Amino acid sequence: MAPARLATSLPRTLRAATIRPAAWRQQRSYHSYDYAQPPPFPSAESAILSSAYAHVPNHGFTIDTLKLGARDAGYLDVSTNLLPRGVFDLINYHLVTQRLALHSNVQFPDEAEAGKKMGVGAKVRALTLARLRANEPVIHRWQEALAIMAQPTYVPASFTELARLADEIWFLSGDQSVDSSWYTKRATLSAIYSAAEVYMTQDTSANFVETEQFLDNRLQDLTRVGGFMGGLSEWLNYTGHSTINVLRSKGARI
Amino acid sequence: MQASRQRIVGRQWLESSKRRVAREPPYRYFSCSQRQAQTPPPPKKSPQDGPASTTTHFGFETIAEALKEQRVGAVFSSVASSYDSMNDFMSLGIHRLWKDHFVRTLNPGRNPLTSPPSSQDQGWNILDIAGGTGDIAFRMLDHASTLNHDAHTKVTVADINPDMLAEGRKRALNTPYARSPRLAFIEANAEALDAIPDNSVDLYTVAFGIRNFTHKDVALREAFRVLKPGGVFACLEFSKVNNALFDAMYQRWSFGAIPLIGQLVAGDRDSYQYLVESIARFPSQAEFSGMIRDAGFLVPGKGYEDLTNGIAAIHKGVKPVGKGV
Repeated sequence: MAPARLATSLPRTLRAATIRPAAWRQQRSYHSYDYAQPPPFPSAESAILSSAYAHVPNHGFTIDTLKLGARDAGYLDVSTNLLPRGVFDLINYHLVTQRLALHSNVQFPDEAEAGKKMGVGAKVRALTLARLRANEPVIHRWQEALAIMAQPTYVPASFTELARLADEIWFLSGDQSVDSSWYTKRATLSAIYSAAEVYMTQDTSANFVETEQFLDNRLQDLTRVGGFMGGLSEWLNYTGHSTINVLRSKGARI
Repeated sequence: MQASRQRIVGRQWLESSKRRVAREPPYRYFSCSQRQAQTPPPPKKSPQDGPASTTTHFGFETIAEALKEQRVGAVFSSVASSYDSMNDFMSLGIHRLWKDHFVRTLNPGRNPLTSPPSSQDQGWNILDIAGGTGDIAFRMLDHASTLNHDAHTKVTVADINPDMLAEGRKRALNTPYARSPRLAFIEANAEALDAIPDNSVDLYTVAFGIRNFTHKDVALREAFRVLKPGGVFACLEFSKVNNALFDAMYQRWSFGAIPLIGQLVAGDRDSYQYLVESIARFPSQAEFSGMIRDAGFLVPGKGYEDLTNGIAAIHKGVKPVGKGV
């Protein structure tokens, strides 16, 4: 009985797994050069969210925006139930689409043509600035979004998305570190980006030059702190080894 | 005192079981075969069911499909009057929170202040299946009127059981909707909603009902038929507890305490024994979500939301727009 049931249920589970692969769910957690990433949202959700996104400048990140978007896409008010997290899904849509757009929006000149090689730092700056500028259309509503992202339910998802953005920026800038600086680079860039984003919501200067200035200052701080930390660790390393060697020369069994 | 009380309870129990036995029609081969010939065979029976394909489960019992409807009817007729207080006793009042949450996440009603005035239809058309006592219907209307300032959304309560509907009508008298056109009660079988035209419903809800249906897949396809494109199927139902330790406690409670409470409060042990058995037989969250998907719905996210660690779950499905279905 039991083996027979297993035999009948096994092909069914296999079939269920193969027939409905839910292609959009198969997101790779690494950057693949060989395979195109599947679209980040299934088509129905994507239709509602993209039409709703057009209403954000006027109606903000609210459930009403979603309802208007659903109507524009040919759905009903009630169809907003397709988005289990409601307004947060709209915010997430902005975050994900803008992150993925970075790849095509920012083009670096070919090294051979430009003559001078563009450093990783300059590329990170350009990418971060491009991502901040992508917030421009909705920046007057962005505080609403930040408030929703700070709700305890959504904090993990928001941080995950921030980490993905930092990772994307470092990847696109050509960083190939495989040591512990992989982590510190992403952590510091996440901190700088989120600080700059909050600064930008209060920025009233023309063309957000003050935000640009703010970003430059923070990146400068980072290089200064990074240089100091590098020097400090070198000094600690040298002093530690010297101390141990001096002790050994005195006959200590270390 | 104690002994006399026990005797009374025992007598109630005996009487109720006698009553139920009397209500059940005698088992006649001719009538059964006739019923089976009339009802279309449920599609998509897996071959392992084999010769038993015309039976279904009633709690832990296996009975002929034709009988399930009557047996479920008998259960709910016998619990209708004490339905509300029994729910409170059994779930320690938590069922009210689940129902409130269910309605709040659906957010029924069209706010005239924020939606474009041009639209041809005002308010939502909600169909509440197996909602005899009106628990969900009254909450829907309250939410639409007070939170969304919507005076047009209407709810049609459909139930197969006239006793539950009578209970709902009685309770409706205490609400502002008793004589308004916004609330209607109809007696209907969820597997054949002949009174409801195609593509006419915005929101189809079924709360703690679908586990009693004989053919859940037929009911799901019927829901798909009556919903407008973009309409939502939403189901609140008991489900499977995720945590093993909590599950052990929950099973103790449901098989030990609930039939006992049923016996003491409603004087009807067997009906509540059926309730807990039918809960245990209901498919898990993922399986039921798969059934919703098989009926043609799009499911949001993973398709369900667990309530109280999975004791209950909210399942949703959206009818797709413009794919020639």
